[in-house]
Amino acid sequence: MSLKVEGVVSGYTREVPILKGVDLIARDGLVTVIIGPNGAGKSTLLRTIYGYLHPSRGDVFHDGKSIKGLAPEHMLGEGIAYLLQGHSVFPRMSVEENLELGGWIFKRDRARLRRAFDEVYARFPRLKEHRRLNAGALSGGEQRMLEIARLTMTGPKTLLLDEPSVGLMPKLVDFVYEEIAKLKQDEFTIVVVDQNVKKSIEIADYVYVLNLGENSHHGPQHEFALRLEDIIREWL
Amino acid sequence: MDLSLLADPAILSELVFQGLVRGAMYALMGIGLSLIFGILGVVNFAHGEFFMLGTYAMYFVSALLGLPFLAGVAAAAIGLFVVGVVVERALIEPLRQRAGRDWLLDSFVLTIGLMVILQNLALLGFGSRRRGITTMVEGSVVFGNVTITYERLAILALAVIIVGLLAAYIKFTDTGKAIRATAQDPEAAQTLGIDIKRIYTVAFGIGAALAGAAGALLISIFPAFPTVGYQPVLKSFAVVILGGLGNIPGAIAGGFLLGIVEAYAIFFMSAGWQSVITPLIIILVLVFRPQGLFTAQGERP
Amino acid sequence: MSVATSAASARGIVASTPARVLKVAVLLGLLILVPPFLDSPYLTTVFISALMFGLFGAIYDLMIGYAGLTNFGYAGFIAAGAYGSALASFHYGISPWLGLLIGGTCGALMGLFTGLITLRLRGLYLGLTTWFVAEAVRFTIANTPEYTRGVLGLAVDPFPSVLGIDFGRAKLLNYYYLLIVLGALIMLAMHFLVRSKVGLAFRAIREDQLATESLGLNATKYKLINFTVACFLTGVLGSFYAHYLGILSPTPEEFGVPRTVEILTVCYVGGRGTLWGSLFAGFLLVGFQEYFRELEAWRLVMYGALLIAVMLFAPKGLAGLKKYVW
Repeated sequence: MSLKVEGVVSGYTREVPILKGVDLIARDGLVTVIIGPNGAGKSTLLRTIYGYLHPSRGDVFHDGKSIKGLAPEHMLGEGIAYLLQGHSVFPRMSVEENLELGGWIFKRDRARLRRAFDEVYARFPRLKEHRRLNAGALSGGEQRMLEIARLTMTGPKTLLLDEPSVGLMPKLVDFVYEEIAKLKQDEFTIVVVDQNVKKSIEIADYVYVLNLGENSHHGPQHEFALRLEDIIREWL
Repeated sequence: MDLSLLADPAILSELVFQGLVRGAMYALMGIGLSLIFGILGVVNFAHGEFFMLGTYAMYFVSALLGLPFLAGVAAAAIGLFVVGVVVERALIEPLRQRAGRDWLLDSFVLTIGLMVILQNLALLGFGSRRRGITTMVEGSVVFGNVTITYERLAILALAVIIVGLLAAYIKFTDTGKAIRATAQDPEAAQTLGIDIKRIYTVAFGIGAALAGAAGALLISIFPAFPTVGYQPVLKSFAVVILGGLGNIPGAIAGGFLLGIVEAYAIFFMSAGWQSVITPLIIILVLVFRPQGLFTAQGERP
Repeated sequence: MSVATSAASARGIVASTPARVLKVAVLLGLLILVPPFLDSPYLTTVFISALMFGLFGAIYDLMIGYAGLTNFGYAGFIAAGAYGSALASFHYGISPWLGLLIGGTCGALMGLFTGLITLRLRGLYLGLTTWFVAEAVRFTIANTPEYTRGVLGLAVDPFPSVLGIDFGRAKLLNYYYLLIVLGALIMLAMHFLVRSKVGLAFRAIREDQLATESLGLNATKYKLINFTVACFLTGVLGSFYAHYLGILSPTPEEFGVPRTVEILTVCYVGGRGTLWGSLFAGFLLVGFQEYFRELEAWRLVMYGALLIAVMLFAPKGLAGLKKYVW
């Protein structure tokens, strides 16, 4: 079942709702991509799911349990991780400390933390190499790698990725999407919001189009791959 | 200004030690203030009152209960931690819920109100009489012409220990790491499951505890009376500006620098004029290097 | 409030001018007629005190409420005006009437200096700088007793008679009316300043400095104008204070942080960005404090509590509650 959003109305102020009744289902193990023009409310939707904003109407379910109204810091405990837009490493802490904080919610369980470290270092040898360096000293791509690695430390079920490729060079954009593809192989449930329609649709299983805070179209990926230009033209 | 006096080792060492002791106090206060600013974004004008409450804690524990110096410092630190936690939960957190853009100014004004209340409650509760303890630790050691009192050594040693403990706490404990993370990126910290509200409370408590400890340590120089916190808070803001707002190592360096400069100023000028020196130095720093003496060039306020 | 809605509300206010003029006339009438009616020197001093605090609060509001400028050393600027005028008359025999202008100029110069060195920095730094500048000024006054008499106290001449009106120490009502005249001039000056294009610039800067600058406005210039004008008016009023009080001393209660906090409280309780709110708050707070005279130390606790209460529950101050009463 995974993530379900039902008729959510939310915004930054009571008077001006940005989402005006949005529905979304992100099924287990699949990549669900949300696309739409600027201001459509894509990031707002992720922030509402994660508890930064409280919906004035509607509900959000994760594995059947309502998570509406929970504070952001409780989400990881529910098995949902969030990759923030832009930089989110702790720049003046080491790579190792960043990863350690990734495992914050079970910090007492040293064995589990050790295992998570082993997995991450095996998968990202470069991070192991730089583990004592301050995260701020890493290159843009390495920081993104660290952010993704940190995200998975607690073995969450669902990942919300907010504009994972924004501001990165084309080569790094490819790298980030390779990583997302690997995460998909590891059977995470992934929700991606991205301006980069082409790249995100490539790895999508299911696509939602948002426009002006409302659902526009949605459907399996193959329906969209071909109609892409038409859809984008609608936004202009 | 007869600089040749500095050639006398007795005078020189006296000035250096005076400077270091004052510097230790300023550093402790400055760290607390910087911590509170760096993590909560609050400019805590009531910081001097935390110092003041620390002096009273030391007085009551030592002079009235007869417990040793260390007990007084511990009592002040723990007591002020509790006070800080209560203040943060009762006043600052509610304001944070309400305020938006004007957080910096609004919280500043809130702490001004708190300062007035604490100062005057102290006046009502304790009276304006100065309660001092002239010497906490007896005895001194002599090297040639130079006399160093054990008291001064104790103050310096305790200050260093406190800063060391704090540094270890921040660097090695889980909560300490969470505090650093929250200071660097509160949203990211939240996505990792860190309860930043609790972090804010702990950080404020620690800041208050440091100010309380400073007050306790320096009871022999600053006796306990309701408005004793004013000079220390003025100086702590000076230290924090010297070091750069939010820059904790800078606060330490700034604290000792200011302490030593003041010791010299007191010696060479009349007591009255040395109180003009600090504001003047700060004005100069604010004009020419507002990010502080110890912050990287790029970070302009 | 965007620039457009500020302009719209300015037009709205002009539209209801007749009603407002009536309200102002009534209040002014009360202000003028009540003290002589009560015929009590003590109450007259209370009225003078209330009006002065209200005016200082209103000028403080000009800075914080209209241009977002924090002045945490405000009392030091009052000292500049007070001492400037007092010393001019004490050492050089200059008439206190001219002293009003001298006091204003001293305040303005101090404001200009402080503004020039900090206005490019964040509001917080302006607040801290004004605090340090004010303390430097206060400590300097205290440390030059040969010139200023320092903490021993500087005796200040009263205003000399003019137009047959005697301003001897006993003529409290005359001082009160003089204050009303000065106050009216100050309030009118500020009123027209904030309604002017310059005032519009102030409010735009307070709302969003970056956006305003991107429209081509030199924010620093306007902040400097606001700050200097406010400090000039403060100096004039400070000069009145000196000649009224008759003795000056650079203590913290007079010209230090406690004084600044009192005025800041008046401004916040009255409501930032209203000017007139501070006048009401001045009367409210001074009246309250006189009524509870015996509870001297509690009075300051109340100021602090009031400030906190305003911040947490009524950020618009009295002006926010106005619609329930007026």
